[in-house]
Amino acid sequence: MSYSASPLWADIVPLPQDDGPGQPLAAIAYSEKYSEAMSYLRAVMASNEMSERALDLTSDIIALNPAHYTVWLYRVRILLTLKKDLHAELSWMNPVALVHLKNYQIWHHRQTIINALNNPDGETDFISKMFAKDAKNYHVWSYRQWLVKRFSLWDAGELEFTEQMLKEDVRNNSAWNHRWYVVFGRGDEAFADPDIVMREVFFTQQSIRLAPQNPSPWNYLRALARRASGPAALPLSSLQPFANTFAPLSAPDAVKSTHALDLLAEIHSENEADKDKAYQALELLATRYDPIRANYWNYRRATLEGVKTV
Amino acid sequence: MPQTPSQFTELPPIQDSLITKSSEVELATAKDCLPLLANPEGRLNSFGLPHLNRAGHITFLRSNLEDLLPRGFTAADASRPWMLYWALSGLSMLGDDVTDLRDQVVSTLTPMQNRDGGFGGGHGQLSHLATTYASVLSLVTVGGYAALNLINRKTLWHWLGHMKQGDGGFTMCEGGEKDIRGAYCAMTVISLLNLPNELPPEAPARADGVETFLAKLPEWISSCQTFEGGIAGAPTNEAHGAYAFCALACLSIIAPPNESIRRHIDIPALISWLAYRQCAPEGGFAGRTNKLVDGCYSHWVGGCWTLISAALQSEGSADIWSREGLTRYILCCCQGSAGLRDKPTTYPDGYHSCYVLAGLSAAQNVFKFEVDEKLLGVTPGTAAYGWTTVGQANVPGDEEDRIIPVHPVLVVPFERAAECRGYFESKIGF
Repeated sequence: MSYSASPLWADIVPLPQDDGPGQPLAAIAYSEKYSEAMSYLRAVMASNEMSERALDLTSDIIALNPAHYTVWLYRVRILLTLKKDLHAELSWMNPVALVHLKNYQIWHHRQTIINALNNPDGETDFISKMFAKDAKNYHVWSYRQWLVKRFSLWDAGELEFTEQMLKEDVRNNSAWNHRWYVVFGRGDEAFADPDIVMREVFFTQQSIRLAPQNPSPWNYLRALARRASGPAALPLSSLQPFANTFAPLSAPDAVKSTHALDLLAEIHSENEADKDKAYQALELLATRYDPIRANYWNYRRATLEGVKTV
Repeated sequence: MPQTPSQFTELPPIQDSLITKSSEVELATAKDCLPLLANPEGRLNSFGLPHLNRAGHITFLRSNLEDLLPRGFTAADASRPWMLYWALSGLSMLGDDVTDLRDQVVSTLTPMQNRDGGFGGGHGQLSHLATTYASVLSLVTVGGYAALNLINRKTLWHWLGHMKQGDGGFTMCEGGEKDIRGAYCAMTVISLLNLPNELPPEAPARADGVETFLAKLPEWISSCQTFEGGIAGAPTNEAHGAYAFCALACLSIIAPPNESIRRHIDIPALISWLAYRQCAPEGGFAGRTNKLVDGCYSHWVGGCWTLISAALQSEGSADIWSREGLTRYILCCCQGSAGLRDKPTTYPDGYHSCYVLAGLSAAQNVFKFEVDEKLLGVTPGTAAYGWTTVGQANVPGDEEDRIIPVHPVLVVPFERAAECRGYFESKIGF
């Protein structure tokens, strides 16, 4: 039934869309249903109505256009004002989220609801369903970070979760980012803990062995070397034997990873006596193994030659 | 005709044997692009690449603006200012004069400006920083006092004051999410409209001792740089190309890039991360590590290089990235029969048309930053006006494939940015 025919809405004067005095640009051929619902939305929002019928109206509009931030923001205000059952809200929104993966209003909404509920039960399971459909969804990963921090879930199986995700796809960089967050996101103390740093080095190197041309674990490893400190300090040069395995400069035909070459170039540039090896690695990258980045490798070479640019 | 270098016609020399979901889709994408890169069809330029289909793209973008969009566009009902901006910006870069649309732009946006000062995605929609940004940039792009005067600067300044947060960042709307887009959108608007740096008296962030829009902002942006060297939408999130541009452009508005980017960003780490975003064999950019090439990152990542050059003060010296690769991807893979697209398997749209073209502007032009020191620090956002084009880069395009350079920070036509800022500088008070 249309809103105009419903006795429930009889007291509301709908506010049709104002398209401006001229011929509007980027105008959309709305369905009558959407057009009418939006006219009633403008009317109830104008009077800041917090009611059951307004809540139902937001459900209708979200079904027609879930990418409508205004409706979501209005909806959450109604829910909180009327002290609605927020568990029911979750059940209502779950299928919406699963169908509209790229929609981030949903995730912001969910965050507000879970925050108000003050209880994360079931959330990680729901997130897993999302990841089964899109394992790199930016909004879902951001939401998961928030969840971990808000409810202090750091040690509630989160590290194992990243391992599981990386077991499914070791190239899932979002999972690598989450791992870094889980391990080091609580404070800088972890960088000085030799057990933690060595565990991460081990895990990262194992992952590299599976697919040496995968950039994610190499980025992780280099960041470990850059950030590990105190008793856990990890000099870049200590990674040389490992990198050599994948890019023996003495056998340039056997290079299995451009990332190993990149790392070797950096390690050898630290030592004046080894600079020719750094040049060799950069040369191999620029001319043979990674020519799309030739300009970058030549830039690195120029900085080595003392053309200080930064 | 020159031969295409093998790096664009063959898969990279090192391929891991382990297959995962990521490598499957990456390989599939490369296979979609390789024939278009190796054996382009249609009318070719003197480098053997398809010409820029200027007429087709103009028709597409004009149609996006002027035709009644089918019902399927209802999902874009909260993004109509964006639809305007993408099309107007794309048309301007293609050399199509958009001043004939000025009255319609003003008329369309009038009902979207709220009494609180911000613009929503449509009539009756809440004010939002993204749609405010897109509305203001649309008005600036068509230019003229009638367009600029639509903006209620005083109430907008008040509304922006509510978006500023105590930690230095900006939320996208009242009760909305806080991310680096907010910072970039807010500072772009503040700069173009010459708004005061002081927060309005009622701004909630004042309770945290934050008294200006710039307060704690560079530090907040800096906290978004990740362990990978790239920049995330918010601290600890994954490094992402679009957010890298927002961060660098925002810093370039706050102060000259050779000061602000140097001071607040680990540049060697960022350069490495940016360099790795260029994909082989496609030549275009991906937005994140192990994600697929996408035409829109031609701007989001491609545009970063201009700002990095200015930060290094290395304009005119050897490039750090491959302009050739990006040009090849855009001309060979991003052009449909009309409009520009993410990749060959997708349909063209306004968003991709705008940012693919802005990326082409970054590839084709050499920009230089130079600003009169006396002007800096007088009002916020002066640093955005130190840019000029100093020459055409050597890319595989003919004269007819060249587009009009777009401002590398503000992403509007150069003369329109100057017109807008100049107009509001000449005003006393609001």
